[in-house]
Amino acid sequence: MIHAELSKLLRNRRTWGTIAIIDALPTLVAVLLAMTDLGPRPGTGPAFLSAVLTDGTLFPLAALAMVLPLFLPIAVALVAGEAVAGEAQQGTLRYLLIRPVGRTRLLVAKLVAVMAFVVVTVLVVAVTSYVVGVLLLGDQTVTVTGPTTSISGSPMSTPELVGRTGLAFAYAMLCMLGVAAVALFLSTVARSPLGAAMGAMTLLVASTLLLTLDAAQALHPYLLTRHWLAFVDLFRDPIRWDEVVRGVLVQGAYVVVFLGAAWASFTTKDITD
Amino acid sequence: MVALAAGLLVVAPLVGRWLPAGEADVGPTELLEQTRAAVDEPWSGTVETEGTLQLPDADRFGGVAALFGERTTLRAWWRDPEHWRVDRLLTTGETDIRRNGDTTLEWSFERAEATYSRDPAIRLPRPADLVPPVLAERLLRGVSDADVSPLPTRRLAGESAAGLRVRPPSDLSSIGRVDIWTGQDSHLPLLVEVYATGQATPSFTSSLTDVSTEPPTDDVLAFEPTARTDVSVDDVLDIADAANQYAPVRPPATAAGLDLGPASDGAVGVYGEGTAQLIAIPLRDREADALRTQMAITPGVEQDTERTVVSVGPLGVLLTGGDGDGGWLLAGTLTRDALERAGRDVVAGFVFVDEAR
Repeated sequence: MIHAELSKLLRNRRTWGTIAIIDALPTLVAVLLAMTDLGPRPGTGPAFLSAVLTDGTLFPLAALAMVLPLFLPIAVALVAGEAVAGEAQQGTLRYLLIRPVGRTRLLVAKLVAVMAFVVVTVLVVAVTSYVVGVLLLGDQTVTVTGPTTSISGSPMSTPELVGRTGLAFAYAMLCMLGVAAVALFLSTVARSPLGAAMGAMTLLVASTLLLTLDAAQALHPYLLTRHWLAFVDLFRDPIRWDEVVRGVLVQGAYVVVFLGAAWASFTTKDITD
Repeated sequence: MVALAAGLLVVAPLVGRWLPAGEADVGPTELLEQTRAAVDEPWSGTVETEGTLQLPDADRFGGVAALFGERTTLRAWWRDPEHWRVDRLLTTGETDIRRNGDTTLEWSFERAEATYSRDPAIRLPRPADLVPPVLAERLLRGVSDADVSPLPTRRLAGESAAGLRVRPPSDLSSIGRVDIWTGQDSHLPLLVEVYATGQATPSFTSSLTDVSTEPPTDDVLAFEPTARTDVSVDDVLDIADAANQYAPVRPPATAAGLDLGPASDGAVGVYGEGTAQLIAIPLRDREADALRTQMAITPGVEQDTERTVVSVGPLGVLLTGGDGDGGWLLAGTLTRDALERAGRDVVAGFVFVDEAR
């Protein structure tokens, strides 16, 4: 079942089209930065973007900061929103369940396929942005090949940079698992995949909006997007683990609650489509 | 079952906050001394400051406006008042200040710049001035036992904290009250709230959200630049330090009845202490005109040919003179009347360096 879902995902041209669109944004930014040598003013723009003008090896992190708040979660919401509701809309869900496959197993297979999409997308963005960053960016007047500079100004060796970058991308994947869990739950209750995706996106927009509102401060610790950019804290010295751990706990809570809700909804649902 | 799990996950983070705070184990007098002494004690932790003071945002003073008008997250390592590091955390990077004896290092990740300078007594406010132990010590200068009263204990940063309400001893102060809660285990001020006269909500708060009393290690306080860092040495720290060193004037000995402080060794005057303090900085035409333009569009501004003045919460800002005149910038926690009087005193009483000799 999992193999079938993965195969369906990877053979779908729309999957690769979506990944290409997500990947195009950081690539375009890299080209523009290389042509103009104009970084964002301090305090503006995505994290790490000003630093890539002197150190191109940091561009995967700038790319992550660009796609994580909007592009990636929208894509995940669309893919996960289609998982169950898409089958129902096409009238194939009944036939899927006629096979001797439990509903829980089918739901797990759908979730694995969504996460495979997230992993592939994030890896494509990481590899592309590293290549583009090293080839196009970095201050050529800096002839040293010494350590990278951490956010706190201290040296960061190449193994440290690679390790922390790996953690940052793993953290981003966990954040997207939270979005996938919400969209998958909505996919089990909505009649159309677009409705499920829109529902998840509404939650994302509401979360982002409420984070800007001081009056909603009591809600901030519970908001889905609250800790998404905490991966930046992995590059401070010392690492600011408390924010990262809080982020992991919040995403974990969303995953547990919404996957549980998706399971409860799907395993008790009357399937007529 | 899913609903139960959701409920538990929502409630779990609140359990720590719902724990009752213990009774205060010290009286107001001892608590006042404890709070004052905390500035010399080592600690490290995360500080959240929140200001609602929308100050005029002129170029050379932009950092100050952000400091008092925004929510700021700081990470601090404090060994003693001369050895510390305070990082201002941003989603786009961070700006750090480290002090090591007489030397100050400012690091900006986004500019990839490390700037060494002296640490002068006369300078603009910076994030390290707003961490609770430092802010509390500054606000408590000149405060006696008669000016404080106890507040109910609260649970803050995982410990019980005893509260102290401070009423400014000077009638000139625009601060209505300062509420300070000091941890009963850490003996550090964990929350400082500053209220303007007549206001029910604080104009400025500074809180330690997590704290450790372990002294910070050398490697955390030290700075080791990489080859990609642009390292420079600057003779001046900011516009107040520059004016203090190079402006050819000297401020008068008193302003609005407040005496010139011992730190005033140049052109800039610092008057009063604690909750009633004022700084007077001489500005050249260029800086004064830019600031006057910004002040003119600040809500509540009053302007005539003699001065431009605005009060934002407990902070008053007054710039003497008109366009092209240069001027004295006066800023502090004085009432409007006292600020106006101080402005007149400074204009009438300052002297040029040649006259002062």
